[in-house]
Amino acid sequence: MNAEGSLFSQYRIHPGSYDEVFAADGTPRPEFRSAIAALGTHTPEEFARQQRLAEMALLSQGVTFSVYSDQRGSEKIFPFCLVPRFIAARDWEKVERGLRQRILALEAFLDDLYGAQRVLQEMPLLRELVQGGKGFLPKLRGIKPPGGVRIHIAGVDLIRDPSGTFRVLEDNLRTPSGVSYVLENRLLSKRVVPEALDRARVYGVDHYPERLGATLRSVSPEDPDRSSVVLLTPGPFNSAYFEHTFLARNMGIDLVEAADLFVDGDKVFARTTRGARRVHVIYRRTDDDFLDPEMFRPDSLLGVRGLMRAWAAGNVALANAPGNGVADDKAVYPFVPDIIRFFLTEEPILEQVTTHLCARDEDRALVLERIGEMVVKVVDEAGGYGMLMGPQASAAERDEFRRRIQAEPRRYIAQPRVELSTCPTWDDKGARVVPRRVDLRPYVLNSRAGPWVLPGGLTRVALVEGSYVVNSSQGGGSKDTWVQKPEAA
Amino acid sequence: MISRVAQRCFWLGRYLERAEGTARMLAVTQRLSPDAGLDARQCWYPLVVVSGEEAAFTQRFGAAELADGEEVQRYLTWGEDSACSIRSSVAAVRENARSAREAVSQETWGAVNELHLWMVSPEARALYQDDRHLFYRHIRQNCTLALGYIQGTMLHDDPFDFIILGVMLERAGQTARILDVNHHAFTHLAAHQVIETAHWLSVLRSCSGFEPFMKRCRGPITSQAVAAFLVLEPDFPRSVRYAVNAALRRLKRIRHPAAFGQPGAASEERLQGLEQWVSRQHAEALQPGAIHALLTYVVEEIAAICNDAGRELLGEAPAAYAAAAQ
Repeated sequence: MNAEGSLFSQYRIHPGSYDEVFAADGTPRPEFRSAIAALGTHTPEEFARQQRLAEMALLSQGVTFSVYSDQRGSEKIFPFCLVPRFIAARDWEKVERGLRQRILALEAFLDDLYGAQRVLQEMPLLRELVQGGKGFLPKLRGIKPPGGVRIHIAGVDLIRDPSGTFRVLEDNLRTPSGVSYVLENRLLSKRVVPEALDRARVYGVDHYPERLGATLRSVSPEDPDRSSVVLLTPGPFNSAYFEHTFLARNMGIDLVEAADLFVDGDKVFARTTRGARRVHVIYRRTDDDFLDPEMFRPDSLLGVRGLMRAWAAGNVALANAPGNGVADDKAVYPFVPDIIRFFLTEEPILEQVTTHLCARDEDRALVLERIGEMVVKVVDEAGGYGMLMGPQASAAERDEFRRRIQAEPRRYIAQPRVELSTCPTWDDKGARVVPRRVDLRPYVLNSRAGPWVLPGGLTRVALVEGSYVVNSSQGGGSKDTWVQKPEAA
Repeated sequence: MISRVAQRCFWLGRYLERAEGTARMLAVTQRLSPDAGLDARQCWYPLVVVSGEEAAFTQRFGAAELADGEEVQRYLTWGEDSACSIRSSVAAVRENARSAREAVSQETWGAVNELHLWMVSPEARALYQDDRHLFYRHIRQNCTLALGYIQGTMLHDDPFDFIILGVMLERAGQTARILDVNHHAFTHLAAHQVIETAHWLSVLRSCSGFEPFMKRCRGPITSQAVAAFLVLEPDFPRSVRYAVNAALRRLKRIRHPAAFGQPGAASEERLQGLEQWVSRQHAEALQPGAIHALLTYVVEEIAAICNDAGRELLGEAPAAYAAAAQ
């Protein structure tokens, strides 16, 4: 199998991690054997060449993200690896069911928070955290969103522990990004490793934009067939601008900036070359804070004055609904299993990561004592910023975090560091395939008819040896994710 | 379509035409200078004026440098502070395409983006040094490729119409300016017949019009014949008349069908007026003494039409327009 000179002949799994492709004895897992054999026929030289060609193609097609820290607004390609990540049919079946359950429960939770607040009466600590946090927007209480949906698009981050169990690490219920790379990575796979893709019996992903369009139209206050849907972007300087253009193009809808919209009589209109045109659904990729200067930040230049009034009046659907941040707050995360039980009277299908809330006295004591084993996260930061990787941190860094936690316990949670699973990954410098840590962000679309999970997702990979950080802003890259169809299908 | 996106499409077209035009003029002039018997200043000065950069250029380098072909080429090719340099124009094409990304086709965007990436690459600098002719040709080919993709891969509806509207108005203005500046430069010289012929040949070539001119006008290459061709020839794609007519057709489509009450009435009326005015002109009217006033009228009308379109259709405030149009 691992013939000399083939892509995987030098591959050694990383001890202590679950390897996504190779079993402990160093042979490929049976369900992936045929595809791995096909991939293995590529030589490392060929692979290095393909990688370079693909990078050039992405650059010339402008498949790039803007780098915030760079004053000149330079653009980079999102690093990627042509060796795919596999997910077996039986594993996916559970992930899919678990995600549908989770989104249904979180949807019910948000509806309750912005309505009767039954759940808060049952869970006093949750009440305290919700009311003290930034995510909950009390001004929105009592508003029912058009179409009855709040989480139209979700990206749920999963990791896989050493036993191979998928665990939810984080929910993204506001404006999750990255799905364009799922589709772009698949195009690369089709071009570079078509025979392996064919043998692996993989679900397609390119119908995502169509499903997204249908999801958006389903919540329109107007007949879906006569509805005008737009994608609202902060503009070309946003780091995800490529994705905004990608989705707008693939759905055939207008990409608008805030200045292109205005509100008159609680209805939203776009400024067009033929005058004002009514807008029924806005897929907004701007943060809540920048939606409407009337309701949120008065200094915002990005907002549309009066948008929230139009939404409250039921004249325009916003995807996702404003106020969702409370449900993907890291401080609320440890309560999600109970939220599932409360709203659905079911046991959670997907595991989570054990989480200590520093707001809880006994948890805090434990965290302060064992900070060297923990990953400490700030509840209102994203993108891997403001976190402490206990095992790798210096004594001074640990002390600094102890002080911060004691000063503002509500802002911190801590989790034992989970040894992430690894996946064979192309190492450009060494010109060989090596194990690197990965996570997975599947995407869930939630229409009036309920949640649907894209059979695939964004696999993010820590390209740097020894790193656990998969964020693209910090040395992470991505891989195509191959979800296998069941044998019989 | 969204007014802002229409604006980006319109300027995409204008800058694309400008980049190609500047590369063409530089290439022609660069090949003209060695053997035409014209002095260097006669060759290069008109280019700086046509680009609208005379004041900025002389302030920066001094009037003497207007005779320095290398300096003029460097400025009009690479000048970062000049909105008319090829590099700035290509960057502007790319920026406009990027902010109208969902409106332009994938192929168009790819061509525009690749040209921009090439312009800022070391390969472009190296080719500029090694082979100026190939350098300008590369730019012209890739601008034309982008225009070809626009024609061949985009839906011929509003975004396309706005791009072509921009291309054609820019083109009409360019041809008028090239002709005007060269006339102006020439009336001050009691020129020798041979030099005059060489000069008008180069003007024709600057507009890709030499061979088409020879097909239509077998007679001597006089200033009046060249002016008549470049202004009035209905079948030459870079004549003022052709470009104005093509722009009008686009604008009528944009406002079609039941345009009553839709924005754009003033722009269309003005463009229609210019089109009728151009088609009423006769070759006899293009006397050396009269042509400057005529061409000035064309250039000013086009500026006014762009202004009206910006206000009516493209969502531009008057102040924003003034800044954008330099």
